[in-house]
Amino acid sequence: MGKAALHRVPWRGIILFLLPVCILYFLFFVYPLGFVFIIGCTQWNGVTAPQFIGLKNYIDLLQDPTFLLSVRNNFIWALSLGFGQIPLAALVAMILARKPRGWKFLRTMYFLPNVISQVAISMMWIAIYNAEYGALNKLLELMGYAQLARNWLGQIETALPAIILQQVLYIGYFMIIILAGAMAIPSSFYEAAEIDGASVVQQELYITLPLLRGILVTSMTLAMAYGLRHFEATFLMTAGGPANSTSVMGIQLFNNMSFLRYGRANAIGSALIVLGVLVIVVLRNTLGRSESISEVQQ
Amino acid sequence: MLYETKRSLFRPLGIILKWSILLFFLLFTFVPLGWLVLSSFKTNFEFETNPFALPAVWQFGNYVKAIQISGLPRLFFNSIVVSSFSTVLNLLVTAMAAFVLSRLRFPFQNAILTTLTAGVLIPIIALMVPYFSIIRALGLYDTLWGLIVTYASINIPISVFLLHGFMRTLPRELEEAAVMDGCTLFQRFYRIVLPLSQLGIVTAGTFVFLYSWNEFLYAMLLTSSVASRTIQLGIRFFTSQFFIDYTAMYAAIVITILPSVVVYILFHDKIVRGLTSGAVKG
Amino acid sequence: MKRRGTFLLVAALVLSMAGVLFAGGAKEQKEIVLNFPSFWVGQDSKAGPVAELITKFNADNAGKIKIVVEENPSPDPYRTKINASLAAGAVPDLFIFNPDPTSFQYYDGEILMDFTEELKGEWAKDFQEGYIQASTKKGRTKTVPYEIGITPIWYNSELFKKAGISEFPKTFDEFWVACDKLKAAGIVPTSQMTGGVNAWTSMLWYSHILASIGGPDVWNRPLTHPQYVEAAKILLRLYSDGNTTKDAVGGDAGVSGGHYLAGRTAIFINGPWYIGRAKKDAPAVHAATQLAFAPAVKGGTYGGLIGFQLSNLAAANTKDQAKREATLKFFRWMTKPENVKMISERSGAMFALKYQLGDNVDPLLKRFVEISNQAKFIVPHFQSQYPVHVTQELGQAIGAMVLGKATPEEFVQFLIRANK
Repeated sequence: MGKAALHRVPWRGIILFLLPVCILYFLFFVYPLGFVFIIGCTQWNGVTAPQFIGLKNYIDLLQDPTFLLSVRNNFIWALSLGFGQIPLAALVAMILARKPRGWKFLRTMYFLPNVISQVAISMMWIAIYNAEYGALNKLLELMGYAQLARNWLGQIETALPAIILQQVLYIGYFMIIILAGAMAIPSSFYEAAEIDGASVVQQELYITLPLLRGILVTSMTLAMAYGLRHFEATFLMTAGGPANSTSVMGIQLFNNMSFLRYGRANAIGSALIVLGVLVIVVLRNTLGRSESISEVQQ
Repeated sequence: MLYETKRSLFRPLGIILKWSILLFFLLFTFVPLGWLVLSSFKTNFEFETNPFALPAVWQFGNYVKAIQISGLPRLFFNSIVVSSFSTVLNLLVTAMAAFVLSRLRFPFQNAILTTLTAGVLIPIIALMVPYFSIIRALGLYDTLWGLIVTYASINIPISVFLLHGFMRTLPRELEEAAVMDGCTLFQRFYRIVLPLSQLGIVTAGTFVFLYSWNEFLYAMLLTSSVASRTIQLGIRFFTSQFFIDYTAMYAAIVITILPSVVVYILFHDKIVRGLTSGAVKG
Repeated sequence: MKRRGTFLLVAALVLSMAGVLFAGGAKEQKEIVLNFPSFWVGQDSKAGPVAELITKFNADNAGKIKIVVEENPSPDPYRTKINASLAAGAVPDLFIFNPDPTSFQYYDGEILMDFTEELKGEWAKDFQEGYIQASTKKGRTKTVPYEIGITPIWYNSELFKKAGISEFPKTFDEFWVACDKLKAAGIVPTSQMTGGVNAWTSMLWYSHILASIGGPDVWNRPLTHPQYVEAAKILLRLYSDGNTTKDAVGGDAGVSGGHYLAGRTAIFINGPWYIGRAKKDAPAVHAATQLAFAPAVKGGTYGGLIGFQLSNLAAANTKDQAKREATLKFFRWMTKPENVKMISERSGAMFALKYQLGDNVDPLLKRFVEISNQAKFIVPHFQSQYPVHVTQELGQAIGAMVLGKATPEEFVQFLIRANK
C-alpha cells in the first residue's frame, strides 16, 4: 500500500504545479506562434484582410539572395557564439572558480556590460571601428601597422567579423552560469586529486570539464539559439549593411514588418524557429543530452 | 621528482597566462563603462567628432538635463516594480514546473519540457501584434501588470531551462526520506527542493531581472502614459526625429545603471552565501 | 506584518481600479478625450511650441474636449508602435502620419478619418498649393498635410574661400573642379552616408541629381529609365577620389552631419530642422553656411529643389459625430496660420500652410524661405516616391556600388528587384 503510494503518479499535484506555467506559455508562446505560422502563409499589410497564399512567402524567401545571406550569417553567429564565446567563458569561469585575488570584483566587472543598454555599447563600438577617428585605426597606426587601418564596419570583408568579435568577447552572461556550476563542485574532489599529484590543468581537464559537461552543453545550446535570434547589435551598428553583408534573419523580419509585409515577416519568423529546432536536435545528438551532469555525479 | 620540477617551471608561466587572460577581459569590459561615463560629460559635438578625447569643459549639465526629463523618478520606480514582480512571478511559476519536471516521472514529461524550453528559439520581435492584442484583451494595456506578465512569460523558457538543469543535480535521498515521512508534494517542493535550488534560482532571477530592466520594445508597445512606463523609455527621451542627444542620454544611462550595479553586487553576495551553505550541507 | 502588506496591496489595487472606473464614468458625460501618441515631445525642436498649443486648446475647450498626449520620443519606434496597433485593430484617436507609399496603404482600409470634404472648403485656402493633392489617394484625403521640409545644398563659405572658390558651382563640371580645389586645401568636399534607415544625406544627393536630369517630371519615369543609372554614376563619383570621408559607407546621420559641423567637410545637405543644432554646436559653421541649388548635370536643369511632406496629421475613423467634430476642431487649431507660424519661428520647422515669418528669425531659416521662392520647381525626394523597402535597399545598393561590388547599372537593378 505504502509502496504503491510512492509509485503512483500524483496527477493532481503535477497538473497543479504545471498549470500556471502552461497558461502563461499558452498565452505568450503557443497562441502567438499559431499567429506567426498562419500569417506566414498569407499576404497581409495589417490594414486590409489577410489573403491566404499558401507557401508562396517561403518560395519567395528561397529565391531572395539577401535572405539566404542572412541565414548564412545567422549560422556564422551561432557557431561563433557556441564555439567561440562558450569556451572563452568556460576558461574564465574555471580560473575564477579557484578564487584568485580579486575574483569577486572581476566577476562583477565581467558581468557589467550586460547591465548597460545595448545602445550605448553599440555606439561605442561604432566609434572604435570608425574610419576617420576610430580608436582601432589609431591604435594600429601607433603600433606601426597603418596599412591595416580601414573602415571596419563599412567593408564587406570586415563588417561581419567586427560585429561578431565584439559580441563574442562579452563573456559575462555565460561565464556566470558556468561559474555557478563550477563552484558547486565539492572542493573535496580537488583535494583528492591534489594528493594524487595532479596539476591544475589536469584537475581542470579531468575533473571540472566532465562535471561541467551538462552546463556547457546547456550554455552552448542557449548561445547558439541566441546566435540564430541575433538582432540588436547588428541592427544598431550596421542595420545589415554594407550591401546587406551583415544582415541576419532578425533584421529581415523586422524590416519586413516595417514595410507592412506581415506575411513575409512571419514566414521569416517561422523559418527561424524551424531552423533553430533543427540546430538543437543536431546539437543534442552530437554533444549528448544536457542532463548528463546528474549521471556523472551519481 | 622530475614531475615536481616540471610543475615549478610551468607555474610562473601559468600565472602570467592566467592574469593576462583575466586582465584582457577586465579591460574589455571596463572600456565601455569608462567610455560611457566619459562621453556623458561631453558636448554632442565633441562626442561626434572626437569620441575618445577628454571633454574640453566637463558638462555636468548633461546630468541636470537627464534628471529633469519627464518623470524620471517615476519611471525609475516603475522599472523597479516591473523588474522585481516579473522576476518573482517568473521564478514562482517556473520553479514549480521545473520541480515536477525534474523530480517526478510521468508520461509526456519530456515532451512538456522540450516544448517549454524550445521557446528560447522564438524571435520575440515577431510577436508584437499578438502580444498587443493579448494585453489589450486582458485589459492590461498601459498598466504595470501588463509588462510584468509579459516579461515573466517571455522568460519562461530560459528559467525552466536553467532551473530544470539545477534541480536535476540535487541528490534524491533527502526527498525519498521526506516521501516516506508522508510529506505532500507541496512540502517536498517548498521545504526541500526550493531551498536547495537557491543557486539556480538566483542565477535565473538575475537574468529575468536584467531582461525586464533593459527591455525597450514591449515597454513602448504596451504602455502609453508615464504612470506605467519604464526607465528605458526615459532614456529614449533624448532621441528625436533629426537629432539624438547622445551625451545627455549617456548621463541618463549612467544614472540608471548605478542602482542596478549596487543591486547586482548585493545580490551576488547572496549567491556566495547560498553556495557555501550548500557546500556545508553537501 | 505579511498580512498587513497584502491588505495594503489589495486596498491599493481596489482604490486605483475604482479611481479609473470613476474617472472613466465622469469623462464620458462631460468631455471628449482624444489620445494623441506623438513624437513631437522631449528633445524635438517642436516639442515646446506644440505642447503650448495643446495646453491652450485644452484650456479653451475645458470640459468639452481634452487632448491627452502620449509621449513617444523616438520616431522609429513610434512608427513601429503605430504599425503594430493598426495591425491589431486599435487605431489611436490622433497620430502623426508619415507620408510615404508604404504608409499610404493605411488609406485602403476604413481605419482613417476622411477629411476629403472639409479639405475642399474654406480650410483648403490656408494650405500651400499641391500638398492637399499630394495627400489625396483615389480621391480621398484621409490625412491633413502638416510639416514639410526642403533640403537645399549647404556649403561652408569660409572653407570655399580658403580653397579659393568664390561661389557655389552651377554645373557638375565646375563642381568637380571645386572639389579638387577643396581637396588641395586639405578639405574633404562632401558629407555622405549609406547608413541609418535611409542613407539620408546620399539619398538627398541622389534625388537632387535626378531632379537635374529629369526636371519636374523626374518621378513620372519608372526605375528602368536610364536617368537612374546616369545619376548613380555621379553619386559614385561623389564617393570616389576622396570626395567624401572614409567613414561614409556605413556612416549615419551623426557621421555625415558631424563632419560638416566640425568643418571637415565643406558641402552637406539637410533641412531647416538642422539649423538649431548647427547654431548651438558649431556657431562658426552656422555663420559661414550658405545655401545653394545643386549643380546641374550636362544638359540638365539648374534651379530645381527637393521639397517634401514630412508629417501629416491623421485620426481614427469614428461613427461618433461629436468625436469627429472634436478631432476637426483640434486639427483646425493646429493648422491655423498664426499657430504654425509660431511653431516655425521657434523651431525652424516649415509647414504646408500659408504663413509669413516675422523679422526676428534665424538668418539661415530666412535663406531657406528665399531659396524655396527662387526655385524653378520643387520635387519630392526619392524616399517619398518609393516604398520603404526600396529606400532601405538604396543605402545597401550605394554601399555595394561604392565598394566595387556593383556597377551603376547593377545598382539600379538592386532597386528594381526591391521594388517588385
